[in-house]
Amino acid sequence: MTQTSLFTADARTTKRNRAEKRFKAYGLTAISIGVFMLVYLLYTILSSGLGAFFQTRVTMDIPLVQEEIIKAEKGLLKTKAYKKIIANALYAELAEAGIETTMKEKELLGIISGRAPAELRSFVQENPDQIGTTVEFKLLAGSFIDGYMKGRVVRENAERSKNYSIAQLDLVDQMQKAGILKKGFNLAFITGNDASESSPEAAGFGPAILGSLAMMIVVAGCAVTLGVAASIFLEEFAPQNRFTDIIEVNISNLAAVPSIVFGILGLSVFINYLGPISGDDWIKNNSAFVGGMVLTLMTLPTVIIATRASLKAVPPSIRDAALGLGASKLQTVFHHVLPLAAPGILTGSIIGLAQALGESAPLLLIGLVLAQGASAPDSIAEFFAGPNTAMPAQIYQWSTRADPAFYERAWGGIIILLVFLLTMNILAVILRRRFERRW
Amino acid sequence: MTSKHDIDTQYNDNQTRDLDMNNIKISAKKVQVYYGDAHAIKDVDVEIQDKTVTAFIGPSGCGKSTFLRSLNRMNDTIDICRVEGEILLDNENIYDKRVDPVQLRAKVGMVFQKPNPFPKSIYDNIAYGPRIHGLAKNKAELDDIVEKSLRRGAIWNEVKDRLHAPGTGLSGGQQQRLCIARAIATEPEVLLMDEPCSALDPIATAQVEELIDELRSNYSVVIVTHSMQQAARVSQKTAFFHLGNLVEYGDTGQIFTNPQDSRTESYITGRIG
Amino acid sequence: MSLLNLLLLILVVAALGYFIGRSRALKSAKGDQAALHSRPHHYGWNVAIFASLPALLVMVAFVLLQALVVPNSVLKEISPELIESTGSRSLVMTQVQTISNGLEAAVENGLIAEENIATLDVQTADVRALIQEAGVVLGADVNAEMLESAKTLKDRVKKWSFIRNILIVVISLAGLIYAIIRTNKDFRARNVVENSIIALLVAAASIAIFTTIGIVLSMTFETLRFFELYPASQYFFGTQWAANFRGGSALGVLPLLWGTLYISLIALAVAVPIGLFAAIYLSEYASPLMRSVAKPTLEVLAGIPTIVYGLFALTTFGPFLLGLFGKGGALGVEWMADGRSVLTAGIVMGIMLIPFVSSLSDDIINSVPQAMRDGSYGLGATQSETVRQVILPAALPGVVGAILLAASRAIGETMIVVMGAGATAAIFYESPDRFINPFEIMTTITTRIVAQLTGDGAFNSPETLVAFALGLTLFCLTLMLNVYALYIVRKYQERYV
Repeated sequence: MTQTSLFTADARTTKRNRAEKRFKAYGLTAISIGVFMLVYLLYTILSSGLGAFFQTRVTMDIPLVQEEIIKAEKGLLKTKAYKKIIANALYAELAEAGIETTMKEKELLGIISGRAPAELRSFVQENPDQIGTTVEFKLLAGSFIDGYMKGRVVRENAERSKNYSIAQLDLVDQMQKAGILKKGFNLAFITGNDASESSPEAAGFGPAILGSLAMMIVVAGCAVTLGVAASIFLEEFAPQNRFTDIIEVNISNLAAVPSIVFGILGLSVFINYLGPISGDDWIKNNSAFVGGMVLTLMTLPTVIIATRASLKAVPPSIRDAALGLGASKLQTVFHHVLPLAAPGILTGSIIGLAQALGESAPLLLIGLVLAQGASAPDSIAEFFAGPNTAMPAQIYQWSTRADPAFYERAWGGIIILLVFLLTMNILAVILRRRFERRW
Repeated sequence: MTSKHDIDTQYNDNQTRDLDMNNIKISAKKVQVYYGDAHAIKDVDVEIQDKTVTAFIGPSGCGKSTFLRSLNRMNDTIDICRVEGEILLDNENIYDKRVDPVQLRAKVGMVFQKPNPFPKSIYDNIAYGPRIHGLAKNKAELDDIVEKSLRRGAIWNEVKDRLHAPGTGLSGGQQQRLCIARAIATEPEVLLMDEPCSALDPIATAQVEELIDELRSNYSVVIVTHSMQQAARVSQKTAFFHLGNLVEYGDTGQIFTNPQDSRTESYITGRIG
Repeated sequence: MSLLNLLLLILVVAALGYFIGRSRALKSAKGDQAALHSRPHHYGWNVAIFASLPALLVMVAFVLLQALVVPNSVLKEISPELIESTGSRSLVMTQVQTISNGLEAAVENGLIAEENIATLDVQTADVRALIQEAGVVLGADVNAEMLESAKTLKDRVKKWSFIRNILIVVISLAGLIYAIIRTNKDFRARNVVENSIIALLVAAASIAIFTTIGIVLSMTFETLRFFELYPASQYFFGTQWAANFRGGSALGVLPLLWGTLYISLIALAVAVPIGLFAAIYLSEYASPLMRSVAKPTLEVLAGIPTIVYGLFALTTFGPFLLGLFGKGGALGVEWMADGRSVLTAGIVMGIMLIPFVSSLSDDIINSVPQAMRDGSYGLGATQSETVRQVILPAALPGVVGAILLAASRAIGETMIVVMGAGATAAIFYESPDRFINPFEIMTTITTRIVAQLTGDGAFNSPETLVAFALGLTLFCLTLMLNVYALYIVRKYQERYV
């Protein structure tokens, strides 16, 4: 090498250092892209989904006149008469607020959700003592009016749309000013039932949340029991032989099998094979039990891997101490090793549960989808054995419906799903922090 | 290159080099090294001569390896490590802001405790340094450098028929000589060796020691060793470190026969260590 | 009595046995616990296990046996003409089974009285409508022989179930009595209980094996049935996919396989560079603080359910791409006609796969020994030269393993392609546009599995059964990738231990 001073970088070194900087920049760019995508995804979720938690409602006093109701119940199309009641009440409400309108009844009712007459009717049937009084109702606004309030529907498109008119939007503006029409928190989205394809404004996530809960109960019961039992055998009792090797290889392979394959397994084993033989609803139906079993098989490898790691972390000296006192091997494991490994097992199980909670593909295959507008099962037996649905399946259902207003519902559902997942993961982190033990 | 400062420096360099009758290659002044809060090297002053083998000896944890690693700024790769004081290589402070450690390490090569050939062929192991520093203009030149380095590393005869076999397939002693040859290939001026024989058997050790003795004619070699016999066999100068201090530095013969410091004497006679 | 009730009954007997066993042991020791060989609860468990375990095992065996024997016995009596006219034995059996289930459901729903079934006749009653009303969908019309067979099947199932219930109750009670008789203070109850528990642990561990067997068997059987209806050679080498639930479909796997691989390739083209560079930066350059923040942040991407990515592709990313490349788009090109495309699904899937590549690569790069880095730095190499020329070549097998695992993920991914890639299969011969253009819709294996199994087709039609063949293809494909990837990674890990 030529005699040059160290204080001056030669041309080659300068070039190499530039390459170094470039390389480092690539790395930083890669991480930034990853983080940006995450932030963008979260932004999309929140900006598209928060709307589902707010809904436009029209507040009005409806006089429940006995004669009108009797007449309505006698009619062939009962809700049609209730429509009339609502329309009259709305005209009255507008007049009272000093809003003049020449709008026809049909167009006026377009502002209100198509479900409103049925809602009114069921209120009357449940509260017959209220007949004869005037009751304040907060009726859902129609999907497009709600979309207008949320900025999804714009005036410019009104002329081309069959679903809403400029006149309606003008009236809505006036009603909003008068305080008749308001956007408010929508508890019904979290607790309410799904609605039919034509009324996205009334669709709720309630049955899906309950269905997922039922499935998680099954998964928690089965996957944790089976996973812990299998891990105890493999970690504490298994001899080094072919059988054990086959199990180990199987577990690591199952962990990487696509989830949809578990769906096929569930479909053919439970619904097509065991169901007809047993004749039992809980196996035959698209029930939370079957869904839970499929998800159990899917999460089992995750639970087993986590449990084995935490069993391994318990030092052998603990086992020696117990065995030295004359405890049997099984007593040693159940009295000493397992309690010490419990926090790790719990953490692993929660992570496995979270994985199961977000899974959709296998559930679609075994048909864990309720009919449009169906309500949640109403008895404990039905809860586990009857047809059911789950959060991801419901989200997928909404995403396939024609009206884009359902996209907002789907994103809203995702927010709820992620809140559950986040809670579970935070719980797992807290458990790990709190009970982490260093030997 | 044309700035006044550079010309001055070069001028000074040449002047000092001419004046430097003792041929001092590296000179350390009041060097302190910290690992986080721990003070690993305290106030070390030492002058290392060109074309000489200098041995650093001392008990484990005395800081001799740490000091060696600060001579080519390998300590930079450890986040919590901090070096104070001056270390001059040919009268230039290697801890100066203008110094690029990459350029420095091409001049001050290093051989490590455990042989660490890259998982590549023998040829690629040797050619790695020349390639990244652009020392060869073409394939023929590179072949030349590889052969020359392997010859200087005293391993050419053993590997010339299998240059494209993986370097990891050699025996421990061969691997270490390969690593020495790899370090030589970048044409350094100083060669640092961190206990190069500690992972080798006695025969391989003898071969490496012989090699070190040959290297003396071209390079300034600094070797850290645990074995006092080895220090006595290969070095002309010896420095004794104890608890992060440089206790004594002098001609090897003098250190081993007539140590000035009582601690050196205790160590050499086996009472501490 | 249904299986569930039978199960509950056994559990009740076992619980009863627990208390009897416990008190009997204590009585034999005259209330002195120390005189017992085992703890009192061991005696209780001993009785409970004897009352339940054999009965449960027999129950499982009986159910499986019944599933094999009963339908076969009915099938033997079916005339060859009927089999001939329907197509195959298994098809006839499926139909008979469905009719039988339908009759069962009709009785349950009160649509027909149990005793009237024997006289049910295809001439006088619309059996298909009856069954349909009970909620069971039938593909074809019911003919007389099928109805008779279905009745026979239903009777035999009933008879077998009756025998099953009696047998199991008897076994349970026998076990209970045997264990109670054996219970006295010198009986080594603990050893019996512990051995039974270990047997249960072994059984739990074997579930992994049974799951694999279940997957392989269930899909293989249905696939064989599919090949009875549709030639295997046309499935494996057919270059056209056009499924039609009215029949006459072309069910070649090649267009689907191509769609799957194409989308996976794009996903990897996104995930591998980003994931690998992120891993390199995190393991070689990042400060501990940045590492502790960036690594878990990237891993969040892997924890987000795939339905979220699917919806993202459908409602956000697809329209975004359409806005760029579509008609009247920002780039002024008309390359894209639909928000769903190979590119939409591929890129979104790539984002999901980033952490799969980065986390595993990060671990692998970290496991390259520090001595390698020292050796390179000692020769005056810069960090990037060290990474590119020493660390990456050393870590290459492991990184390749990580990429293969990500590829297997991509191939098996369902929701993103269902929602983002569309439903039309690639067409090879018309124009290169229909199978090369990444802006085109292209469907995949997983998408078709969902579509064929959730479609309206009768279960025994080739259009539905093809899903099992597709499932088996997918399973084999990902299994090979996984096994090979795990082999590479393991071999790599052994190298530096």
